[in-house]
Amino acid sequence: MDEWKPNPAIKPHKKRSWYLAWKYKLMNQRALRKLCQTGAVLFLLVTVIVNIKLILDTRRAAYEEEEESAQDYDDEMLNVEVPRRPVSNKKVLDVEVYSSRSKVYVAVDGTTVLEDEAREQGRGIHVIVLNQATGHVMAKRVFDTYSPHEDEAMVLFLNMVARGRILIFTIKDEGSFHLKDTAKNVLKSLGSQVAPFLSWRDMWTFVGKKGGEVYGEKHAKSPALSTWGDPVLLKTEVHLTSVEDAECHWPDTELNRRRKRFCSKVEGYGSVCSCKDPTPIEFNPDPLKDNKVFDVPVAVIAGNRPNYLYRMLRSLLSAQGVNPQMITVFIDGYYEEPMDVVELFGLSGIQHTPISIKNARVSQHYKASLTATFNLFPDAKFAVVLEEDLDISVDFFSFLSQSIHLLEEDESLYCISAWNDQGYEHTAEDPSLLYRVETMPGLGWVLRKSLYKDELEPKWPTPEKLWDWDMWMRMPEQRKGRECIIPDISRSYHFGIVGLNMNGYFHEAYFKKHKFNTVPNVQLKNVESLRKDAYETEIHRLLGEAEVLDHSKNPCEDSFVPDTEGKVYVMFIRMEQEADFTTWTQLAKCLHIWDLDVRGNHKGLWRLFRKKNHFLVVGVPASPYSSKKPSSVTPIYMEPPAKEEGAVAVPAVAAAEQT
Amino acid sequence: VGLFRTAEKMGFQWLKIINKDPRLDGMDDLSGIEIPLHYIFKLASHAIHLVVFYERSGNYLWHGPLRLKQHMDRKFVPFRKLHFGRYPGAYEKPELLLVSIDDLKVQIPKNPSRFLEEVSHSRFLECRYREARAFFQVYPDDASLDAVEFRKKAKSLLHLAALTLNNLGVKFWLSSGTCLGWYRQCNVIPHSKDVDLGVFIRDYKADIIPAFQKAGLPLKHKFGKVEDSLELSFQGEDDVKLDIFFFYEESDHIWNGGTQAKSGKKFKYLFPKFTLCWTEFVELKVHVPCETLQYVEANYGPDWKVPVKTWDWKSSPSNVQFNGVWPVDEWDDVIQIY
Repeated sequence: MDEWKPNPAIKPHKKRSWYLAWKYKLMNQRALRKLCQTGAVLFLLVTVIVNIKLILDTRRAAYEEEEESAQDYDDEMLNVEVPRRPVSNKKVLDVEVYSSRSKVYVAVDGTTVLEDEAREQGRGIHVIVLNQATGHVMAKRVFDTYSPHEDEAMVLFLNMVARGRILIFTIKDEGSFHLKDTAKNVLKSLGSQVAPFLSWRDMWTFVGKKGGEVYGEKHAKSPALSTWGDPVLLKTEVHLTSVEDAECHWPDTELNRRRKRFCSKVEGYGSVCSCKDPTPIEFNPDPLKDNKVFDVPVAVIAGNRPNYLYRMLRSLLSAQGVNPQMITVFIDGYYEEPMDVVELFGLSGIQHTPISIKNARVSQHYKASLTATFNLFPDAKFAVVLEEDLDISVDFFSFLSQSIHLLEEDESLYCISAWNDQGYEHTAEDPSLLYRVETMPGLGWVLRKSLYKDELEPKWPTPEKLWDWDMWMRMPEQRKGRECIIPDISRSYHFGIVGLNMNGYFHEAYFKKHKFNTVPNVQLKNVESLRKDAYETEIHRLLGEAEVLDHSKNPCEDSFVPDTEGKVYVMFIRMEQEADFTTWTQLAKCLHIWDLDVRGNHKGLWRLFRKKNHFLVVGVPASPYSSKKPSSVTPIYMEPPAKEEGAVAVPAVAAAEQT
Repeated sequence: VGLFRTAEKMGFQWLKIINKDPRLDGMDDLSGIEIPLHYIFKLASHAIHLVVFYERSGNYLWHGPLRLKQHMDRKFVPFRKLHFGRYPGAYEKPELLLVSIDDLKVQIPKNPSRFLEEVSHSRFLECRYREARAFFQVYPDDASLDAVEFRKKAKSLLHLAALTLNNLGVKFWLSSGTCLGWYRQCNVIPHSKDVDLGVFIRDYKADIIPAFQKAGLPLKHKFGKVEDSLELSFQGEDDVKLDIFFFYEESDHIWNGGTQAKSGKKFKYLFPKFTLCWTEFVELKVHVPCETLQYVEANYGPDWKVPVKTWDWKSSPSNVQFNGVWPVDEWDDVIQIY
């Protein structure tokens, strides 16, 4: 074989295009080939999956669209999420407390929880109670310890606060003048070093835990009698405890769950929140046999006096025959604490956006509450109307059950009321006795639905009329000569001292000594004799039986009435015409009964008790009962004293005792 | 509470629908806790829909609409298939009968077919209190004695008319000024002078006139005839009269007629087609056109929100059309005044 010689005719090897070269090069590498194949397959898979997902999504979207077109079923109101307080995981609270002559403030973690810069108000020691686990404000009080007795109230309050609560004190203006030793000692026992030495116009702030440590205290003495101490700003830190440590461990029942909710939010209600033996919040009063008012709605008209509401609801729920399901509390404003009290007792509460001012605001609140009551209970023919500052007698519903048929059947009746305007401790005796009177006492009464819907509601005073609703109801245009039935001994007790028309003096003078029935299950006597004509017969019978007293004596003296018991006496006073109440007013004044306006009369006749004898007063000649007067007797005339400098100033409020 | 625990133990899942209590709606702003409107209990593929009815002033039962809140499961049950809940509904208070079905004691309406028949026309509209309050901000309410008196009379006239017509089985609705009063201010318009009702002419019954007479409302005038522009007017207490307008349905609109007594002129008032819904007005359950805005605007024009004290029925309405004159020989028939 010859040696292979390159063929010169063949052209020389040309370089391939780099692409091709690269391509072939790649194709030759097996691993790379495999990689590309896998990649392609993967890519294919991914595309398929994406497509399937797309199809499903479109399908679902179409389905949902169909659902959404049934938007009928979706709540239009986008639930406005109540912004929840961020649950701070902070274990420490920053507390700032400021005390000065004209301004106080307290800030917790930057939020101002108390600020009072108003002039002429808020004087004294401000107390704030914080929940030791959450830092929430549980109570806010101010005790004007410049004035007497406020320090006692403060001690009472502080004693009721649960152990472990954080207490913040700050003085505005002056808080030492009537801060007596007892109070000072209580503050000392809370850990205050300064309290025992607080004096005139000193500024003081204090933060401590009840039964525990002191977080801070600052004080500025007033340099001279005529000046105040320098403003004091206390900044301190308070360590929070765990929630379990801040709560009591009551057995888990529905009632205790309500209790727990209430007690972690609010302070100042004493033993209802004690860990050991808390006061019951459920009452099981005896049921009432044949209860004619079981289905009558009860409207409790309330404002922002939650401690009053608490006391009132306790007595209401303890009354025999009460039906808690029929009770609705109407609160005049969006106040939390009264709502908390309502929920504590498991009752139903409704809040009303207040309109107008002063007494017109109260009047609009009444109207809204009464209208709502009849809307919520469309079958009801009556409604019981109560207020938050009344104690309710244990036989309140029994009293109504026995008398309500009169309101239904006797057109000449305007209402049934539990309150006897003239029923004081020394002038009321018989719990089974009823009267007809030409006034509307209110203070726990029954309203007929037809009266409200047909007559009162359509012409209820409009918001700009600054009238008292009850004075308006007593006007002849509304009352139209109709009468109310009242008991001799009231079935409600008015305990409110603070209110729109109330003050301490007024309460002391006209309400404190009011007689209140505490006897359960009283059987009312002779209820049928309260009907229009039957009552006249009864009056005539009484007047026939009554012994005429010696009119030469002074009727204001105790000796005017003999020292007997259970007898019936009659006295005649001068009453020139229907509206002549001159003598009556003087008599009422000296007998220390209601004398601000005329109440309790029935055709010129008043009925009360003196020294446990039934005492009838007849106005001559205006009263139709004047015919019973023996001709020998001269009606007594008493005229108002001439205006002297020392004349007693009657409180400058309209003669209304409502809140 | 016990009911739900027991249901859960038996394997039911349940859903509760609550909402604001409409009985607190009114001219005052009240708010209480929300009330339960519907409960749905589901077990496997069965569902029990518990509708909560409330009794309301006006002597009727009301139930609320079924609206799902944001967090609720829209697939819980096929909501669209439920018979109740698309709209709030109003029903006559049925008498109930205790029966035993499959050894279970249940109560059913004494007249089931009647109750079921109500379902398709039960749609209820609340009065627009918020708008009414806004209206009174701009046009303060007339609180004069005259206004109070008129409202009282109008209310009792309306109650009496409703009673009479219901006894006859004649369906009616609030029309004209009375409807405007409901829509605009949730009350009788003090200067409206009379009470207006509407009745479809197909529901006309000859007994209407004697029934009203018997109820103490004598016929004051009768205009038109059943075939055309019928209108009845009854005399109520004092000056208040009750006008009943009869409505004629055409293919694409509805109209009622009016007649001017002294000239024999005929007028036609046109309305777009409407259906009837229930509502509560002055403590009475009555019908109003569901499409109230359209109805009111047709009658009173776009300025219906502005009170007009002097209204001339011949020219003031926006939808009035002159419709010719009655032939003189018919006048005795179509113009009767007592």
